[in-house]
Amino acid sequence: MTEAPTEPRDVHGPDGIRVHEVIRTFRTGRSGVDALAGMSLRADPHDVVAVVGPSGCGKTTLLELICGLQQPDSGTVSSPPAALMPQRDLLLPWLSAIDNAVLALRARGVGREDARRQARPWLERFGLGGFETTRPAQLSGGMRQRVSFLRTLLAGKPVLALDEPFAALDAITRHEMQRWLAHVLEAEPRTVVLVTHDVEEAVLLADRVIVMSGRPGRALAELQVALPRPRSATDLAVVELRERALGALGVQR
Amino acid sequence: MRRLVVPAVLLTLLLAACGEKQESVSPTGANTQNLTLMLDWFPNADHVGIYEALANGDFKTAGLDVHIEVPSNPASPLELLAAGKVDAAISYEPEVLLARNQNLPLVSVAAIVQEPLTSIVSIGSKHIQTAAQLRGKRVGDAGIPYQHAYLETILAHERIPPGSVKEINVGDNLVPAMLSGRVDATLGAYWNYEAIELAQMGKHPNVIRMNQVGVPTYDELVLVVRESTLVDHPDEIRRLVQAIGRGYQAVRSDPNAGVANLVGANPGLDSKFQRAAVRATLPAFFPSNPSNPWGWQDPVQWNAYGQWMLSNHLITNPAAVADASTNEELAGQGL
Amino acid sequence: MRVALRGWRPLLLLILLIGCWELYVDLGGADPLILPAPHQVASSLYTDRSLLWSNFLVTAREVLLGILVAAVAGFTFAVALHFSKRTLRPAVYPLLVASQTIPIPIIAPLLVFWLGFGILPKLVVIALVSFFSIVVTTLAGLAAVDPDLVKLMRTFDASRLRIFRHVELPSALPGVFTGAKIAVAVAVIGAVFAEQAGSNSGLGYLFQESLPQLLTARAYAAVAILSAFAIVLFALLSLAERLALPWAYAPKGDLP
Repeated sequence: MTEAPTEPRDVHGPDGIRVHEVIRTFRTGRSGVDALAGMSLRADPHDVVAVVGPSGCGKTTLLELICGLQQPDSGTVSSPPAALMPQRDLLLPWLSAIDNAVLALRARGVGREDARRQARPWLERFGLGGFETTRPAQLSGGMRQRVSFLRTLLAGKPVLALDEPFAALDAITRHEMQRWLAHVLEAEPRTVVLVTHDVEEAVLLADRVIVMSGRPGRALAELQVALPRPRSATDLAVVELRERALGALGVQR
Repeated sequence: MRRLVVPAVLLTLLLAACGEKQESVSPTGANTQNLTLMLDWFPNADHVGIYEALANGDFKTAGLDVHIEVPSNPASPLELLAAGKVDAAISYEPEVLLARNQNLPLVSVAAIVQEPLTSIVSIGSKHIQTAAQLRGKRVGDAGIPYQHAYLETILAHERIPPGSVKEINVGDNLVPAMLSGRVDATLGAYWNYEAIELAQMGKHPNVIRMNQVGVPTYDELVLVVRESTLVDHPDEIRRLVQAIGRGYQAVRSDPNAGVANLVGANPGLDSKFQRAAVRATLPAFFPSNPSNPWGWQDPVQWNAYGQWMLSNHLITNPAAVADASTNEELAGQGL
Repeated sequence: MRVALRGWRPLLLLILLIGCWELYVDLGGADPLILPAPHQVASSLYTDRSLLWSNFLVTAREVLLGILVAAVAGFTFAVALHFSKRTLRPAVYPLLVASQTIPIPIIAPLLVFWLGFGILPKLVVIALVSFFSIVVTTLAGLAAVDPDLVKLMRTFDASRLRIFRHVELPSALPGVFTGAKIAVAVAVIGAVFAEQAGSNSGLGYLFQESLPQLLTARAYAAVAILSAFAIVLFALLSLAERLALPWAYAPKGDLP
């Protein structure tokens, strides 16, 4: 993407997230790439909305719009303040786990000791108790994702924008992390927009699954997932919804 | 890492503050004048009288606080002098005339070396004992225009066609050029420096001095000041010149002490060599006519040399020659 | 400890080269006045040791101060160019490159003219030759910061200054050290030229003064000391780099 970064404009809306008929095109020279062509999305407070779609369908662009990092070329985006959990964990290699977790606080000007004090109990709860001073290079993939998620949480924003958070993990760790996230969200409800290519993950975690088309991206279908939690991948209802979603994506089975 | 920045900056300032204080070209106390004297080159035997005067306190007695500076290149002394950055400079008679030709208001107030030191030098095995033997040979020099003119004058004097001698630019590396055999002889070496070096190396050098073969004689080393300094501070210049003169006279009485002071002030110099060089140069520090004071510049000789430069198109302005030197600051003069 | 043991290979090579050099001169390959034999250089290192040492101190002070100035100025400059990517940088960068092409024999007398005969003109020359690599590598380090990191910080409402302090600056540090290591190697030889600017002391001056006196072995000895000094500074910087940037050297391993 060759866009020059612009200052985030205030996209703060009162309650939920409202994305309406958004078109977003990236110009490279004379040609343009349509990332989103009429994408719409709605999320009420404390909704967990999953967005699934093939690669390159503009999922990341959607999240950046919600976070106020980009402006739509057409259409409207309004959202309460959102914190981004990026696809790569982007933990700073020179900071310890706890200092990485408090990055958002430090970005706001909170002092180092104050910030660490706030983060410590969270590290315990996230199972990172003895690893406060460990550097990311010595942490496992799953632990790094937990630190990254904690960082996103500690930003203190009502909306969490999660960009394929578990894509880089091996299957076993991914399943663990999915269970873990469901557990955390139960204790700390937030409005969540979760972008993932893993349809099963979407069904396991979300209240609603939005299926996006390939580029240029727009919503193809929306599935309600009114299932009780905790959910398991082997639940019939989960499997059935997964199949419907895959069908909407046009995947042959 | 952050914590290193402030101490690093403080350290810088501290180290810089410990440096030498800046030179000022202005009067200090009520009695001593600050004065910067730039040499023509690295300190060597030619400057022995200056270091003698410094060591003996002659400058202090004369109410002068003299700071000696070494130039970064041969053109610097007169440039910096004209620009007002040094108060006095040591240079060569041809350079003074060249500067005046460029309308730089400089004037020579004393001759430190009363005759040419520039010579044609060759190592013994080349058997070049007379200028006539230069025919068909390769001569190295530093590419300075007046040195080229010397060669032409010499060849004309010997009736050697210029084309039969190959002139090669060897920069400052005269001795290595001779040793490597790249040239048969060099023009520009001094009979009291490079020739002595070669002699000490057992190379039995042959020396032909400029003024022996048709080049008009001139003062190899002179003390130069701005014309304005002469007008505004003649007394200061007189004291400087006469203190330096006393230095050279002291060296004549006790050359070994002179060498000791020279090397004491410049530990990088080799005593043995400097002693030989000082002894060889001693006569040249004084005018041939003993009734003339130290530093005497012969106006007739200056004029003749100036005319030679004019006719060789080294300078174009005849006015540069007149008043290029003055003896009024020498002992017993101008009163 | 490991560093010292690893050093034996280049040492062996060095000894081999010196041996060849000695043989070459002893067998009459070159005039000792133009290329002295290693044993003559070693002899000069011993006999002239007090002269070499006192002049070394002068040069060392110039070099250290000059590098410090270059580091501070270079770093500040790079940060300024980084913050002003659109206006200052395209205007200044080509001039910066051009500054490296001006021959020192031209600059040195000019600096003496402006700054007098003290340590200042030499500092400027040394800083000038060292400044460039620091600016270039620091700027490159700052520009190479992951843009996604910057985006992340913006979602945390970080100000420009905080983004610089928490993300860009630490990211650029390895680049700063690289530039400093290059600068150090260049600065030491730069001192030889710097001392053309109104000096009567220092190893550079001693070197220049030794040549016309045909004390070539002593000139080589002066250069040998300068080279050794540069190597020591380089090693010290590498050490400082390992201390300041431990994360870049830590072994990577996955914990369960």
